[in-house]
Amino acid sequence: MKLTRRTALLLAAATALTPVAAFAQDSVKLGYQLPLTGNTAQYGQDFKDAAEIALTKFNASGALPVPVEIIYEDSRSDAKEGVTIARKFVDDKEIVGVLGDFTSTVSMAAAQVYKKAGMVQLSQTASHPDFAKISKWQFRNITTQDQEGAVNAQWMMDKGIKKVAVIAEQTDWGQSVAKGFVEPFEAAGGEVVYTEFFNRGLADFRSIITKLEDQAPDAVYTGFFYEDGAQFLKQMAQLDAEIPIYSTSAAYNDQLIELAGEAAEGLLLTATFLPTRMDANVQDFVTEWDKTHDHAPGQFPAQAYDAVNIMLAAVVKAYPDLTRESLRDAVAATSDFPGVTGNTTFDENGEPLKELTKASVVGGVFVEVE
Amino acid sequence: MSKSLLIKLGLLVLAFALIPALLVGFDKGYYYQIATIAAIFMLLAASLHLVTGVAGLLHLGHAALYGVGAYVAAILGANHGIGFTLGLPLAGLSAAAIAFLVALPTMRLMSIYFAVATLGIGQMLYLVFLNWVGLTNGPNGVMLFSGINLFGLEIDSDLGIYYVVAGIVAISILVLNRLSHSYYGNALRSLREDDQCASAMGINVTVMKIQAFVISAFFAGIAGALWAYTTGYISPNDFHFSQSILILTMVVVGGLGSLPGVLIGALLLILLPEALRSVGDIRNIIVGVLMFSAILFLPKGLFGEVSALNFARRVLGQGWAAKKGEKGIGWK
Amino acid sequence: MLDPYILQQLAIGLSLGMIYALMAIGFTLIFGVLNVVNFAHGEVYTIGAFAGLMAISAFGPPLLVVLFIALAAGALAGFGLERMAFRPFRRFSDEASLKSRAMREATLMSSLAMSIIAREAMEMVFGSQFQTVDLAYLINKPIHIGPITIVNGDLIILGVTLLMLGGLQWLLKKSPIGLSIRAVSNNALGAKYCGINTDRTIIITFVIGSAMGALAGILVGLYYGAIFPSMGFTPGIKAFVAMVMGGLSSVPGAVISAIILGLSESLSTSFMPSVWSDMVAYAFLLLTLIFFPQGLFGARRERV
Repeated sequence: MKLTRRTALLLAAATALTPVAAFAQDSVKLGYQLPLTGNTAQYGQDFKDAAEIALTKFNASGALPVPVEIIYEDSRSDAKEGVTIARKFVDDKEIVGVLGDFTSTVSMAAAQVYKKAGMVQLSQTASHPDFAKISKWQFRNITTQDQEGAVNAQWMMDKGIKKVAVIAEQTDWGQSVAKGFVEPFEAAGGEVVYTEFFNRGLADFRSIITKLEDQAPDAVYTGFFYEDGAQFLKQMAQLDAEIPIYSTSAAYNDQLIELAGEAAEGLLLTATFLPTRMDANVQDFVTEWDKTHDHAPGQFPAQAYDAVNIMLAAVVKAYPDLTRESLRDAVAATSDFPGVTGNTTFDENGEPLKELTKASVVGGVFVEVE
Repeated sequence: MSKSLLIKLGLLVLAFALIPALLVGFDKGYYYQIATIAAIFMLLAASLHLVTGVAGLLHLGHAALYGVGAYVAAILGANHGIGFTLGLPLAGLSAAAIAFLVALPTMRLMSIYFAVATLGIGQMLYLVFLNWVGLTNGPNGVMLFSGINLFGLEIDSDLGIYYVVAGIVAISILVLNRLSHSYYGNALRSLREDDQCASAMGINVTVMKIQAFVISAFFAGIAGALWAYTTGYISPNDFHFSQSILILTMVVVGGLGSLPGVLIGALLLILLPEALRSVGDIRNIIVGVLMFSAILFLPKGLFGEVSALNFARRVLGQGWAAKKGEKGIGWK
Repeated sequence: MLDPYILQQLAIGLSLGMIYALMAIGFTLIFGVLNVVNFAHGEVYTIGAFAGLMAISAFGPPLLVVLFIALAAGALAGFGLERMAFRPFRRFSDEASLKSRAMREATLMSSLAMSIIAREAMEMVFGSQFQTVDLAYLINKPIHIGPITIVNGDLIILGVTLLMLGGLQWLLKKSPIGLSIRAVSNNALGAKYCGINTDRTIIITFVIGSAMGALAGILVGLYYGAIFPSMGFTPGIKAFVAMVMGGLSSVPGAVISAIILGLSESLSTSFMPSVWSDMVAYAFLLLTLIFFPQGLFGARRERV
């Protein structure tokens, strides 16, 4: 990451001090709660960078007569802190909408506060099946596993794969990955021969892989983030398990290939965002991102970028009559929003509907599969 | 004696008039939230204090017992329609019951062995929270829709919730205080200093240790129920090993063996990270440095045991003071 | 019986056990002498891994040089740790203070504070993600032996563990330094009265133990290709468990317990969901504590 923590720190200090500045009265404020320190800080830092890109572009475009500000607060992926931040955002009468948090558990805990206070909360990653159902105030810009699992199930069926093992992390998200895939796959006549969950950050997958090989599936469907994914792929290669691996958009990250090297070759996955796509908005985002990063943006920062843009578009729609209530309605009315992760429409529950593309790792890069 | 009464009254006024007045004055949900979390962690620290500070048993799994209370309260509330009034004591009792089962085989273990046993049990309970999907809903956590309903009275204002939490915490801490500054507490202290000697003096060491452990777990369970009801959503991560360490740190920074010190330690470790929020990413390093300097420069804690004992004697000593024409009992 | 599946799981269990053993050795050495838990050992392990990683990305030396750089970094970290988190709490050397629980718990907390500072600092400098490691340095090249597959890292780790174990036994039993270490571990005050420089001995113990911890860090980091600031936490807990099962102060006991832990983890995956496999390790721990309160190998009252 070329954008050092120190500059980020200065930026944070600067934003913390700006409320006293002259334009404080006539700017629009949004809150963003995310993990900037702790075990999951790498994700939070990426979200922040993506949000900054979206915000800078927006403020330069002059779509609104007043600038928009985002206030970032660090939750450390700790529910205690997440709830406290939520209360803090709710207190600030100038904040009209909130983005975040990263993990579902923190987002869910904070959601109870937003529900009570009536503030729109748009998460870029919260994947808990019940998150968007908490109240009318919760939205998310993710690909739901019901969609992703169905596409993967169909993909395997098309290739004639009937026997599949499912490996997913032991989180709410991993549970929904397994469920989202197994149901359509079995409905289509496939057989799931082995299901296993693992604790996040597990160093050694070899026992699981050995057991998996013993079941001789035609393919493995996996639910992991890029770090666990890299470990899994490396150890699959190490044990010579030549079974095709399918995965979700969460694994879509250049660092997966960097960490796993050769072992990532041939990985198949679904995604909603491809930095190599030639669409103008995708290339805008990727160019800006590359100025401060060594890696192309992965799926998660792209989701954050879109979430911020969706929120900003809703602000424009609601302006000048901008209240928490009107912003919520504007977000809910989002339809066919052209983001880098495809077009987004919220259904009545605040769930996004997305189009998925298929990708594969060939020659050390992600390429779209036709 | 009037001085001790004054301190007691002062604390009560502080907790039930001054702080609420400030909270209402500021009218910020943020401050209510911090006050609530601080109160819950003060109770957690005070309950751990009974085991680690007074009885001298290093306990590395306190957060798991706190989790048991939270899960019992949340599951009863969400799935079985048992409200706050009944759920709160049940949460405490379940945590105490589990602690009792755990204590039976492990209590005869010495010092560090006991600490490791509590570590293992804490981790096992955490694995149960995380992986027993049928019971705890696994990583999905438990959502609790019902608010605090105290004897049929629905409490949903911020101030009301603060009063409920502060009231329960104050009563619990009072009980813990009486326990640790009594003959019973002194007997526990004797275990800490030299359990062979205590045993020779006729104290049943194992039974006393089990009692202290179970009582402490009861209050941890109460704290868990308060957390579940004030947040409305719990998940296994809230009760991870790192939370046990956080609570232990509160006890040690505040001063092993001193209840007022422990409470100050809890306040400090909750308030400090919040106060340092504007500093940015570096805030946790600052917390670490402050923790280190507190241990280095105040080896007995912020409020050492001796001064704490004197304080408690002054405050609570009148019960043992000599009455007119009678022989005094107690420490003197 | 000799099902290749079981054989493969056994091989994996052994290599896991070796990895835990690698960390447990340094941990046990420091514990055995000082009778305090060093919470910062996990961070020393991480520092070793990061030192090696920085050397690799800076000038790409041969593996052996990387290992020595990690050793040196660990020794330095151990020295600093002793100076900052342990030395200040030995300023009172009378018997009461030495026995005082408060003093012992002070070092527990000061080492915890050090570990928080070190980990947060590493997170700030490097970020909390997995660091990119030059894949050529990874020690995970497969080796096929009949039906089972191991990697070259298994052999390296086995070799290093044996070397460390043998070297340590020689050091403790045959050398004058080892004699003073054992003396201090047995009775610090008595050793002092006999003219042993206890401060120096404790520093040496820390330096040796931490260097071993750092070496473990870089080896495991390269074995898995996973180097990140909180990497020391899980192996730290496992090493702690192994140390207790082995009887707290017996290094060979800790190594054998670590192997038992590794085996039980890999084999348990065959019978139950892998998320529960840690449960087996903790169950082992509790059973050991309840039925062998002195640890499996502590009965001989071996101090180190």
